[in-house]
Amino acid sequence: MAHVIARDSTARWGTRGQESREDVVRLGLWIFLATVTMLFAAFTSAYIVRRSSGDWRPVALPSLLVFNTAVLLLSSGAVEAARWSGTRNRWHAAGVAFGAAVGLGFGFLLAQWAAWGQLAAAGVYLPTSPHASFFYMMTGAHALHVLAALALLTWTAVATWIGRGLSARREWDLLMSVCRTFWHYLGAVWVYLLIFLSVY
Amino acid sequence: MMTPTTALAASPDIEGSHSAHGPSEGPKSFVRRYVFSTDHKVIGIQYIVTGLLMAIAGAALAVLIRLQLGWPEHQWQLLSRFLPKGMPSGVMTPEFYLAVVTMHGTIMVFFFISFVLVSGFGNYLVPLHVGARDMAFPFLNMLSYWVAFLSAGLMLASFFVEGGAAGTGWTAYPPLSAVASASPGSGLGQTIWLLSMAFFIASFTMSGLNIVATVFSMRARGMTMWRLPLTVWSFFIASILGLLAFPPLTAAAVMLLLDRHAGTSFFLPTGLVIGNTALANQGGSPLLWQHLFWFLGHPEVYVLILPALGIACDILPAFTRKPVFGYRSSVWCLVAVGALSMIVWGHHMFVSGMSPFTGEYFSLVTLTITVPMTIFGVNMLASLWGARLHFRTPLLFALGVIALFGSGGFGGLFLGNATADMQLHDTYFVVGHFHLMIGGVTLLATFGGIYFWFPKMFGRMMSELLGRLHFWLTFAPFFTIFFMQHFLGLQGAPRRYYSFTAFDFLRETRLQNLIISIAAMVLVSGQLLFLVNFVWSLFAGKKAPANPWDATTLEWTAPSPPPHGNFSADPVVHRWAYEYGVQTVAGDFAVQTVPEQSAPVGA
Repeated sequence: MAHVIARDSTARWGTRGQESREDVVRLGLWIFLATVTMLFAAFTSAYIVRRSSGDWRPVALPSLLVFNTAVLLLSSGAVEAARWSGTRNRWHAAGVAFGAAVGLGFGFLLAQWAAWGQLAAAGVYLPTSPHASFFYMMTGAHALHVLAALALLTWTAVATWIGRGLSARREWDLLMSVCRTFWHYLGAVWVYLLIFLSVY
Repeated sequence: MMTPTTALAASPDIEGSHSAHGPSEGPKSFVRRYVFSTDHKVIGIQYIVTGLLMAIAGAALAVLIRLQLGWPEHQWQLLSRFLPKGMPSGVMTPEFYLAVVTMHGTIMVFFFISFVLVSGFGNYLVPLHVGARDMAFPFLNMLSYWVAFLSAGLMLASFFVEGGAAGTGWTAYPPLSAVASASPGSGLGQTIWLLSMAFFIASFTMSGLNIVATVFSMRARGMTMWRLPLTVWSFFIASILGLLAFPPLTAAAVMLLLDRHAGTSFFLPTGLVIGNTALANQGGSPLLWQHLFWFLGHPEVYVLILPALGIACDILPAFTRKPVFGYRSSVWCLVAVGALSMIVWGHHMFVSGMSPFTGEYFSLVTLTITVPMTIFGVNMLASLWGARLHFRTPLLFALGVIALFGSGGFGGLFLGNATADMQLHDTYFVVGHFHLMIGGVTLLATFGGIYFWFPKMFGRMMSELLGRLHFWLTFAPFFTIFFMQHFLGLQGAPRRYYSFTAFDFLRETRLQNLIISIAAMVLVSGQLLFLVNFVWSLFAGKKAPANPWDATTLEWTAPSPPPHGNFSADPVVHRWAYEYGVQTVAGDFAVQTVPEQSAPVGA
């Protein structure tokens, strides 16, 4: 059978049959992230168009956001540390690192809440100016995605704590890989949003 | 207690469900088997049946529209009893007319054609066609259907809220859609419309993600991309388009909701006065919504029409007994159309005051789409060349697809040209054009697909006699209605108008509107034949063999209907999807699994 397939001149895009479950899940995640990218691309494009109208008044964004960024990036770092420890079978360290990642993730959301509060306390509400509207909307949409990712991160953290890294290594690796991609992606989106919303 | 990873592993999404174990009986309980099923075939049929039920609702709305336009001022006493608010004295109110038009468009585009063609046939056919036992993410698939069901229910429920259903057109242009007090149809109905669309988009994203992932990574051994049937290619391209184009509409819907309920001014301009009250909003741009909407809206028409063309292409060879013409060029055409469809949205906005240079760009890329579309159309025609046609019901519908695609496509040449569009914009020419294309091509392909795959889905044949009658009672009135509407448009009849009786220059169109309305009644009545045929065949149709049409793709190697898990053994593919005209023990065709020693391989 193999020789028949090997001789196939049209076999440019692979004929090895169905891919592994891990690859399928990773592909699904990337397709999902493509749609999320399109969502933020649409917000960005709308922002650029809306900015060109006469009433655009830039709002001073709270300096707390720099702290929030650091928290989110640290959380990404903690996920990497958990993976590093896990691949070396240091499960206690992996559990601690993952716990830190989840904690920092929720910390980011709390800090975001505080940043919105600061802005509102300064009299800048959602409808105050188009810049404020976009700020609340885009960071809010990001926070919702962070919340979804945190559900997954919490799940994986629990799996790490109860020793699934040892007893079900393949699943743990898959969960870890999905968490890393999703979480780092959201970190990158956040950095992009912060730079875009403050600079442009 | 279930630990996180065991729970995850037990879910079909992570474990890969039954894929490694061959067909199984599947879940035993009725609820898990037919209601909350993760089997792609059940979900596909759920989508198709839900879509057909929504089509009945959409058709009922079309009847109301045609009653109003064909017999304006006539008092329909019976209807006033059922619709005391919309038709108080038997004559429709203008507000109700707008809600009816809006909901007809919304239901037909999103809840009929998208449901049946992309999610319905896509779910049913893709795993069978690529030789997989199920979709890549069965649980997500089930979730997709039930979210879709919720969105459809929500959309229908909006008829019963205060102010009635949304009345701002299926395009929901602001400011009308952004200010709740602007019109009765801008109120709660519009909010529900937006929420329902949000659920629809979520469901379509899950469904599209599944189709793309399945085509990419669940193909059987030997099933290269170049051996996929054109249906699968069309679902694949349509799903990618949907995945990329729907999120911008989500963004726009969020912004519109905020404009409606949170006081923002994304789309609301300065100086808007509603009912003698000046609104506080300022600086927003209604055109921004149009850009975001049509960035989805244009690819969406290809999301609908590409699967229709794919289905027609796969029906043809079974009844011409020869391969489709120009398979590879057809695939490249689908890819090219998909790519081009993302950059042409501005042709819906030629009269929005855009710069003539921008208009010229959009004209140019729009007319460029006609190149791959024409090649595709000619390939379909050439597939008939020299063939001895077996005029069974599915073939009639597939031929109808070609006919409507050709004649509807010509209208696109006029509308894609900015200069001509200035004149024709918002007239019945546009209504005629898009109904022939995303109405007719998709409707005929839907029926063609159902007649063709019904034996596979339910294990029984549909009645040929009723099927053929149904074809003529669909094709003839459909073509009459929308071909004539092109001429209404050329005479200047504007679309969305509730009544034409007040305009002298449209007085002459009265007879045309009457003929169109009568044809519409014939069209709708003709569909009863389909319903009767569908239900009757379900219980009393002739038992179908595994391969009733002597066709070549993988689904015909499975029993009719296929069991849970589809195939008795993992199929291995040796040839392309159109191996007709070769002699094998089975006849003048070779199914994709026939080894090359048994019959020469065409591709």
